[in-house]
Amino acid sequence: MKRTMPHLDPTEKQIVFKIVYFGPGMSGKTTNLLYIHKTLTERYKGDMLVLDTEKERTLFFDFFPVSLGTVQGYSLKFHLYTIPGQIYYEASRRIILEGADGVVFVADSQADRLDDNTEMYRLMIDNLLSHGIDPSGFPVVLQYNKRDHNPRLRLGVIERELGLEGIPVTESIATQGRGVMRTLQLISKEIIRRFQIY
Amino acid sequence: MQLPGKGNTEAIKDLLSSLVRRSEAVTALLISREGVCVSKAGSTESLNSTALAALVAGMFAATREVANIVGEEQFSILLQQGEKRHIHISLLGQRYMMVVVFEDYRRIGRVRHEARSIGPELVGILESREKTKKEDSEDISVPEFREYALNLIDRIFVVGEEDDASSGPD
Repeated sequence: MKRTMPHLDPTEKQIVFKIVYFGPGMSGKTTNLLYIHKTLTERYKGDMLVLDTEKERTLFFDFFPVSLGTVQGYSLKFHLYTIPGQIYYEASRRIILEGADGVVFVADSQADRLDDNTEMYRLMIDNLLSHGIDPSGFPVVLQYNKRDHNPRLRLGVIERELGLEGIPVTESIATQGRGVMRTLQLISKEIIRRFQIY
Repeated sequence: MQLPGKGNTEAIKDLLSSLVRRSEAVTALLISREGVCVSKAGSTESLNSTALAALVAGMFAATREVANIVGEEQFSILLQQGEKRHIHISLLGQRYMMVVVFEDYRRIGRVRHEARSIGPELVGILESREKTKKEDSEDISVPEFREYALNLIDRIFVVGEEDDASSGPD
C-alpha cells in the first residue's frame, strides 16, 4: 500500500495538499465549497471552477486553490475539489480521488438517504484501494450535512452501519454556512498532523 | 544536463523557453499529474495557470480512462483545436504533462517536434528531482512545519460562534 504524500516541490518551494469533498449526489459538496470560497479573504483564494450540468449537478469536479502563506520558506497550499455524486460518474470520481491527501465525506442527513450514504462511502473505500491507498490511515472527516432536515439520521448511524471507529465527525447546514469552516479546519489539521516526508 | 536542486528549476525553464521560442508558441507549462503547475515559460500573465493545471490533469486522467475502454493503456498526446488558440498536451513519464498553447495551427508539426525533442531531457530532470526530493527538502523541520501550519489553519479557516450546527440530542 502507498503512503500518501502532498505535492512537495523543494525546488519551487511549494507544498500542495489535495482535499476532496466526497459523498452522494445532492448532499451539499458544492455548497460547502461555495461557502468556503465566499467566506475566505480575497488574498487567500483563487478563482473557483464549477463544472456542472444544467441541473446544477457536478459533472466533473469543482475546484479552487487556497494559499495559506509561507511556512519555513515553502508556500503552503490546499487544493479543494468536489466529486460528482451520481452513481454513474464512477470513473470521474476515481480520477479526482487520485493524489488526494484527505477527504471530507459529506453525508446527507435526510432519514431516507442512509443507504445512499453508506453505498457511496463503500465506493470511496474501493476508489482509495484502487489507487493503492490504505484507507485505515487515511484522513477522512465525516460531515453530517443538512442537520436542519426532519426526520434526520441520528448521529453515529453511518459509522455503525459501516463499522467505522474513531472517525472525526461534524454536523453542518451548508446552505447556511454552519459547520462548514469547522469541517475544513478539522480535515486540514488531520492532514497536517499526518504530514511526513518520504 | 541534470542539475540538482535549484539548477533543476532553471534547466526546466530553459527547456520550456526554448520550445516556446522555436515553435513560436504562446506559452508552455509543466504540470504534475495531481494538477499542480510546476514550471511555465512564455507569455503566462493572462492565463490562470492554477486552474488550467487542475483542468488539464483531470482531462488527461479522463483520457486515460477512455484509452482503457478502447483497449489502450494511455494516449500520450492530446490536441485541442480552437478558433484562435490551440493546446498540445503530451505525457512526460508517469507523473507529468507538458502543455503548449499556440496560435498558428500551421505550426502544429513544429510544436509536436519540439515537444518530442525536449521530452526525454525533461523526464530525466524530473526523475532525478524525484530521487533527490527527500534530501532537497531537508530544510523542512516536520514538527515545526506542522506547528506553523496548524497555526495558519486556525487563523485563516476561522470558526465563529455562528458556525455551530449541532442538532442536539435526537
